[in-house]
Amino acid sequence: MNAGYVARRLLQLLPSIAGIVLVAFLLLQMAPGDPILALAGESGDAEYYAFMREKFGLDDSMPEQLARFASNAIRGDLGVSYTQGRPALTIIGERLGATLLLAGSALVISTIVGVLAGVIAARYAGGVRDAAITTVTLSLYAAPVFWIGQLALLFFALRLGWFPTNGMTSPSPPDTAFGQFLDLLHHLALPALVLASQQVASVSRLTRIGLVEELSTDHVRTARAKGLRESTVVWRHALRRALGPVFTVIGARIGYLFSGAVVVEIVFGWPGIGRLMLSAVQTRDGPILLGIFLLVSTAVVVANLITDLAYGTVDPRIRYR
Amino acid sequence: MILGRSESRHQATTLIGRLFATTSGKVGAIVTLIVLLVAIFADVLAPYDPLSPIGPSLSPPTREHLMGTDALGRDLLSGVIHGARTSMVIALSVGAVAMVIGVLVGGISGYAGGRLDDILMRFTEIVQVLPRFFLAILAVAFFGPGLLTLILVLGLTSWVILARVIRAEVLSLRAREFVDSALTQGARGSRVLFREILPNAIPVGIIYLALLLAFIILIEASLGFLGLGDPNAISWGFLAGQAQQFLRVAWWLSVFPGLAITATVLGLNLLGDGLTDALGRR
Amino acid sequence: MSRSLFIRLAALLLVLAACTGETGATSTTVTPDDGTTTTRGEGDTTTTQDAGGPVEGGTLVVAISSDPGHLNPAITTSGGTHTASELLYNGLVELSDEGEPVPGLAEDWEITEEGRVYTFTLRDDVVWHDGTPFTADDVVFSFNEVLLQYHSRTSASVGNAVESIEAPDDTTVVFTFTEPYAPLLQQLSVTEAPIVANHVYEGSDPNENPANLEPIGTGPFRFVSYEPDSEIRLEKNPDYFKDGLPYLDEVVMRVIPEAGSQVIALEAGDVDWLWGVPGPDLERFQADDNYGLLRTGVNPGGQNCIMTVSFNLDQPMFQNRDVREALTHALDRQAFLERVLFNQGRVAEAPIHSGIGFAHGENLDMPAYDPDLAAQMLEDAGWVDQGDGTRAAQGVDGVADGTPLAFNFLHFPTFTAYGELFRSQLGEVGADVTLQPLEPPVFVETVFINRDFDTNIISFCNGTDPEIGVKRMYITSNIQPIPFSNSSAYSNENVDALFEQGAQTVDTEARSAIYQELQEILVEELPYFWIVETEGFRIHTAACTGFSASGHFAEAAWCDR
Repeated sequence: MNAGYVARRLLQLLPSIAGIVLVAFLLLQMAPGDPILALAGESGDAEYYAFMREKFGLDDSMPEQLARFASNAIRGDLGVSYTQGRPALTIIGERLGATLLLAGSALVISTIVGVLAGVIAARYAGGVRDAAITTVTLSLYAAPVFWIGQLALLFFALRLGWFPTNGMTSPSPPDTAFGQFLDLLHHLALPALVLASQQVASVSRLTRIGLVEELSTDHVRTARAKGLRESTVVWRHALRRALGPVFTVIGARIGYLFSGAVVVEIVFGWPGIGRLMLSAVQTRDGPILLGIFLLVSTAVVVANLITDLAYGTVDPRIRYR
Repeated sequence: MILGRSESRHQATTLIGRLFATTSGKVGAIVTLIVLLVAIFADVLAPYDPLSPIGPSLSPPTREHLMGTDALGRDLLSGVIHGARTSMVIALSVGAVAMVIGVLVGGISGYAGGRLDDILMRFTEIVQVLPRFFLAILAVAFFGPGLLTLILVLGLTSWVILARVIRAEVLSLRAREFVDSALTQGARGSRVLFREILPNAIPVGIIYLALLLAFIILIEASLGFLGLGDPNAISWGFLAGQAQQFLRVAWWLSVFPGLAITATVLGLNLLGDGLTDALGRR
Repeated sequence: MSRSLFIRLAALLLVLAACTGETGATSTTVTPDDGTTTTRGEGDTTTTQDAGGPVEGGTLVVAISSDPGHLNPAITTSGGTHTASELLYNGLVELSDEGEPVPGLAEDWEITEEGRVYTFTLRDDVVWHDGTPFTADDVVFSFNEVLLQYHSRTSASVGNAVESIEAPDDTTVVFTFTEPYAPLLQQLSVTEAPIVANHVYEGSDPNENPANLEPIGTGPFRFVSYEPDSEIRLEKNPDYFKDGLPYLDEVVMRVIPEAGSQVIALEAGDVDWLWGVPGPDLERFQADDNYGLLRTGVNPGGQNCIMTVSFNLDQPMFQNRDVREALTHALDRQAFLERVLFNQGRVAEAPIHSGIGFAHGENLDMPAYDPDLAAQMLEDAGWVDQGDGTRAAQGVDGVADGTPLAFNFLHFPTFTAYGELFRSQLGEVGADVTLQPLEPPVFVETVFINRDFDTNIISFCNGTDPEIGVKRMYITSNIQPIPFSNSSAYSNENVDALFEQGAQTVDTEARSAIYQELQEILVEELPYFWIVETEGFRIHTAACTGFSASGHFAEAAWCDR
């Protein structure tokens, strides 16, 4: 891979990230409401508010606050949470793992299931199976994710008792490391499947389109003519090429996964940044909100970059300038 | 498939025929049409005032109240019907804002080229990575739940793809002779934009618009779930959010708004598919 | 191909289901439920083994709705922090479920100089969770350096009245006030004045001390671990100063934000205790022997709360008391109780909550639901029916003729149902109400600082004494940007004087008379309208019992599974 190209793509990230930070910061400044009240509680006296206001520098001018934030952000210091009095980055970091686990699992599950569904749909393109797969995956996409989550919770967790109803671990976790791992998987399964269900449609559709196209190419016809088995043709020859688009959209999907995770975390009591964000919204905890914004948008941008660069390794037809 | 002006009317009539030739196009168009009609005639169709507590509290579906009532005793069917209107108003307004900005940015960018094009495209990249759902949460929580806030935030961030499409059309048309000749004949830039370029970009714009509407309806629903819906305008998201606390005792409050959202989003997506097929854009 | 995919998926599901067998399936043992389960040792519950006495050991899993952020209840009044941390700490004086002061860290007290001086005798057998002995210095430090600085309610009430807090010796603390001060004993519980350790916090900024995340207290349970937004684990304090308590080995608090998810977790057996029951679920749980309910006026934000409508008296529209009365006649408060609260509470019959027995007004002339009278009064006040269901001003002081009778109604998002009912009931008499849900910080700024509103609803918690949570709503000196104070901007010299008199009168009967007179004035003038007194229900699995409504809810609880 060309180092100059990578460097140029990296440089292109900076204005995007700067733009996002600016948008979030302006929004926070324009909004009515005063974070001091989140910080100092509901019934303090005026003197007490003045004291806390000074302590957290809320009376500085807007450019000063923005400049302070930007220079701190570069050093990895996103300021101190108004409500918790701890560094925002520390707090976000504590929740990040849970969200990454949830979103990552959903990404893997939806990609695998989506590719399988897409392959089936492509092989029986125009048939009943194709239509069934399209209908089911598109319906899962069309249904609000919280709704699917609630139905899954009521049915699989409450009625059937297959999964725990909330959280990431049991109140009384098993003693062994392996037991704890299984415990975690057990808690992860339902929220990850729900979050993944939304994404299957886009993956299976891309796979199907790419594969249908591939299967009609001369390259594949030649392979068939050589007498190779159809499954070999599909899996060995056509799929590898057809998968390119599936990987290029992973970057875009990261954004949707984070969005979906906010909602899924709330349905399933999953302790990630989505829930942190919602409580920060309720208290207008600026540093936390700005931090999460910065993080989510950076994740999207970086994921775009990685998929961009990785595309070439999946589909050798892509050549870098 | 780039068509000249004389062909566009013909294109419009055959497009509908081709749309209805596919199952997904047929289903999508019908569902979308139904939802639009319900939204337009909500006042006539709704059996009751959706905001008036006229019935018993938490009644399951009965002949009187086909979708049951909520805790305050309001008729859910009327709520779902009026919700269609609110959800469509939000979605279509966002679509309109996005269309206007997308056409302006894409048109100027493709037409002007050079540095301005560079700057606008860089700006587009920034807007593209803005996490829209997160922005919407922030905006609604800060400025209070209001339709206008939601429309502005989503509209101002949803035009990127339209701008790209328009820009690509402009670039490809600029390269074509007949535009060049139109230009040399002294036609004004805006006239070329509206007469020659937009008609060709609009079909793709409509596909994107159908998918955008679906996306906006889902976002609105999720905001409602998070308790960030506007109580002054009954929307599907608001109904779904209200159903939260009644999950175990009043299934109808969650099921009917959920089904309405799912059906509409599905319909819009199928319509998008159908249009894609009909235009041979796949 | 599709078949093998199906088999693979099925296999995956089986594996996942098999995991459930190990941890998920908790069989619920059905124990007869004694309904209230409040008092310790009230042993109706008979099991086959013994007479149902307390059982030692076991884990109680508790659902909490928000992450506490930190576990120091002395520096905040945040409900989330208090719910999660009060079991770790103690106050000098605790309150029984009836609201009576009972010994806590102080085993005795004496009130002298007509209520100006309080002398507390502390227990000498209390140790902090790290083994350091507890002394009077801890109390003095907690008040002077922490509570009166950072606990907003205590600093605003005790802090404004106290002259000095001193420790003549290790087991004595003396509070001296500038004037007689009646409510002190109600303000020393773990909620209002948790005592923190001098040796842990001395010389540090209490907001930034790492002990806020690894707290050291004196309470029945001690800290084990805190996973933000996930769970907090506490274990039994074997050295607790109350002999034999607690019974439980462990309390685990799980953060579950959605009320609906909490109910599902309880029903699935994943948690044992919820701090509240969503209204519509109440009836179902009441009828189910697998659960016990505990009725209480204590809410996480305070106790004895009344949902109260404020009329912004800065607005000409509301300056005519007859208009205010007309609007109150349009409100069917019984409907609020039934359709919003699902009968978890009662219709408010006085400005002061019935939970403060001595101060609660009797036989007051509260405006009754009468929409016809409301319409007539509006008409008489110059708000004339336009024939299309709306009204407009005609000859109203300070309002231009033709101004429609339209106003906004501000509320927390959680109170949307109140707003919807308010809107539709007032709509019946021709008032056009627009709801404006605002998150608490924005609400406070809009209402109390910018005063940019017409009407609003606030859950005003009266606390255990009018001095704590009633006075703030009415006194003239609170017409300034103080959150949750005089929301209507009401001013009446007589009312101010009566509140002052009430605070300085120590004799309960004399105080009752003062507050009765006060409430008669308030009901006549209607600067606010008091809708419903809210009540909470705690719910727990019937396998666990012995709970109380206070912050020390699990101090004497036990589980028999």
